Amino acid sequence: MSSALEQNNVKVTGRGKQPMLFAHGYGCDQNMWRFITPAFEEQYKVVLFDHVGHGQSDARAFDPAKYATLNGYAEDVLAICRELDLKDVIFVGHSVSAMVGVLAAIREPDRFDRLVLIGPSPRYINDGDYVGGFKQEDIEGLLDFLDGNHLGWSSTMAPVIMGNPDRPELGEELTNSFCRTNPDIAKHFARVTFLSDNRADLPSLKTKALILQCSQDVIAPEAVGRYMHQNLPGSEFVLMEATGHCPNLSAPEETIAAMKAFLRDPAPIRTAA
Amino acid sequence: MTIDQGSLIETVEELYESAPCGYLSTLPNGTIVRANQTFLTWIGIDRQDLIGHKCFQDFLNIGGKIFYDTHFAPLLRMQGFVNEIAFDLTCADGRQLPVLANTVQKRDAAGRPLVHRITLFNATDRRKYERELLLARQKAEQATEELKRLNETLEERVAEEVAERIKAEEALRQAQKMEAVGQLTGGIAHDFNNLLTIIVGNIELLQRRLPEGSERLLRAADHAMEATRRAATLTQRLLAFSRRQPLDPKPIDANKLVAGMSELLRRTLGETIVLETVLAGGLWRTQADPNQLENAIVNLAVNARDAMPGGGKLTIETANARLDQAYVEVLAEPVPPGQYVLVAVSDTGTGMDRATMERVFEPFFTTKGVGKGTGLGLSQVYGFVRQSNGHIRIYSELGEGTTIKIYLPRLLGSDDAPAEMPAKPPVMVRGSGETILVVEDEPALRVYAVEALRDLGYRVLEAADGRAALSIVEQHPEIELLFTDVVLGGSMNGRALADEVTRRNPRLPVLYTTGYTQNAIVHHGRLDPGMHLIGKPFTYADLAAKVRQMLDNEAED
Repeated sequence: MSSALEQNNVKVTGRGKQPMLFAHGYGCDQNMWRFITPAFEEQYKVVLFDHVGHGQSDARAFDPAKYATLNGYAEDVLAICRELDLKDVIFVGHSVSAMVGVLAAIREPDRFDRLVLIGPSPRYINDGDYVGGFKQEDIEGLLDFLDGNHLGWSSTMAPVIMGNPDRPELGEELTNSFCRTNPDIAKHFARVTFLSDNRADLPSLKTKALILQCSQDVIAPEAVGRYMHQNLPGSEFVLMEATGHCPNLSAPEETIAAMKAFLRDPAPIRTAA
Repeated sequence: MTIDQGSLIETVEELYESAPCGYLSTLPNGTIVRANQTFLTWIGIDRQDLIGHKCFQDFLNIGGKIFYDTHFAPLLRMQGFVNEIAFDLTCADGRQLPVLANTVQKRDAAGRPLVHRITLFNATDRRKYERELLLARQKAEQATEELKRLNETLEERVAEEVAERIKAEEALRQAQKMEAVGQLTGGIAHDFNNLLTIIVGNIELLQRRLPEGSERLLRAADHAMEATRRAATLTQRLLAFSRRQPLDPKPIDANKLVAGMSELLRRTLGETIVLETVLAGGLWRTQADPNQLENAIVNLAVNARDAMPGGGKLTIETANARLDQAYVEVLAEPVPPGQYVLVAVSDTGTGMDRATMERVFEPFFTTKGVGKGTGLGLSQVYGFVRQSNGHIRIYSELGEGTTIKIYLPRLLGSDDAPAEMPAKPPVMVRGSGETILVVEDEPALRVYAVEALRDLGYRVLEAADGRAALSIVEQHPEIELLFTDVVLGGSMNGRALADEVTRRNPRLPVLYTTGYTQNAIVHHGRLDPGMHLIGKPFTYADLAAKVRQMLDNEAED
């Protein structure tokens, strides 16, 4: 049986004991945490990984059936925890991986200490009173667009990054990463992500969670973050000044500060089931 | 006139504003802080409405917005630039402008992002080419797919064809096997018939010549004769199967024939089996040997009886039938399409499985216990039907019963009255000194025939071949009957001899004899009309009756 550590290109750093597990979101890989992790390596054991089909993961492990829902990705998170024997885990998930962490913590609540959810969304498509930020046709248009292979969503990515003479190490790193990514897997992941609906799972979460909400986030608008906050028992909500969908890249200091404030809060709140 | 050299040199502002590409400067969050005229013209927006009021992302469609946040911005932050990204910009009039974006991120000394310089190329043509390429690739893929499907169906079609071929070959093999078995049995039966004729003749001689008081020897001779008769029946059936029995086809009304058999069938079937006959009105006539058709029906009835040990129902039906092209095409043996008279014999017996059905017409194939059947009944029926240009079909369901259908060709354009069943020949009619020429190349057979005829009171001349026979005919105008084997040694066969003799003396009757019939006298197994034949092995009584009948007929003419 293949190791989750190899399959997901797991990297462990840091000098602390309590593990912080960072899960990248849609469209990137573990490199997206590069401005964040240095702030935590002193105090925590930092664990990074790539989802299957991303970065330097083993794309051969991709199974459309397993990854047809986010549960497949949550299973991988738990497999990594088991192999590294991680306990009291602080899970930091960006974008779609925020929901992946929620699903993993619902399955094995005892393994997780806290969740940091950056730009989370339980459902991207509007549904009645629920505001997800996208109309059904927006998402269908997006998926069609992906199928048309425009935007350079996957294929034009490699040439982009290869033409980076100033920082060859970065180019090499990302070239390898994206070159190995099967465009079909990227499309599949987009489909699973943007069609997911995990609203019903939210009340089952027993782990204390921080919701980091960006301003002007097209992908996860403020209303979605507030919905998460209302439906996650005992969660904390922070509306950041940072704009866009990737505060970990665009505003690492603000992100780190918000995370540290949350982690300093002594008693994790466990709500009765 | 002096030229202001300065006016000849383009200013940086000119280059910026009227560059063939759009220039944008945005804050890290996308807010546009500077744009050139080219961009404004493309989008159709006034500078004052743009600067500080709009983000670059505002001009992107939904896919572009998501891409910007999930790929573009992260990459820009990580590597400081992003090149050749295809976006669609939404213009003021709603038009979509395809662009390629190259972007550089300017940072402060601490590495903090300050501003993004975005260069946009109009990619309308390029996108069109891309679309054409994509379309061409799609078409190529579709063509490949189509080809693949064709190949797959080709394989399927080939597989079907091969299966069909295998089936046809199987059928051909079966037909060839039947043919080979037929050749073999026919050959054996023919030779055996000759031997039987000699045996019969000599036993009869013994029976007639044994001195008074030798009852034991006479009984032995009787037993030998009985066994010989049974052997003769056997060879007859073998000949029937191999389609070499001499047939005497006559117009037949199958209804009449079946109706005439009901008494015989009832006795054959016994009390536990109900016989039902369903005779079609307006039944066409057919042409076949009525004796053999009767034989065939009896054979089928006996088989049916044996398949219904606990009793049951036997149905004999007649009907008009049409075998169409599609039906005959799939048959292993050649059967012309057209109109047929159907005689079907159905039972409510045990039925048979497919394997049995396939072999049931083979000679000596029997499902009956040892000593209960010869395995020749159905073979004989099969041979008769095929020899009569007919077709036989068997339908059977295990536990349900069996139907065997005999199709005989419809007789067209003949007004001949259907043949009455020939009367059984008189037992013994003697001669009164009439002269008969016996031509037979097989000495023992010749001796037998000559002895028998002399014994019957005829004057007999004999010849071993055609030439000798002709010269005897020349010298003996008193000859009243030519009795000749069909196959003779030497250059002249029986038919040629008869033709020559008849040419010289048209009134001289000719009686043929033969072991089998694959020769001149029998066209396709049928006697030429008006020809008389006595099949080997013939008995003393057969010979007596036939010769007498011919001489008497001749006398009546």
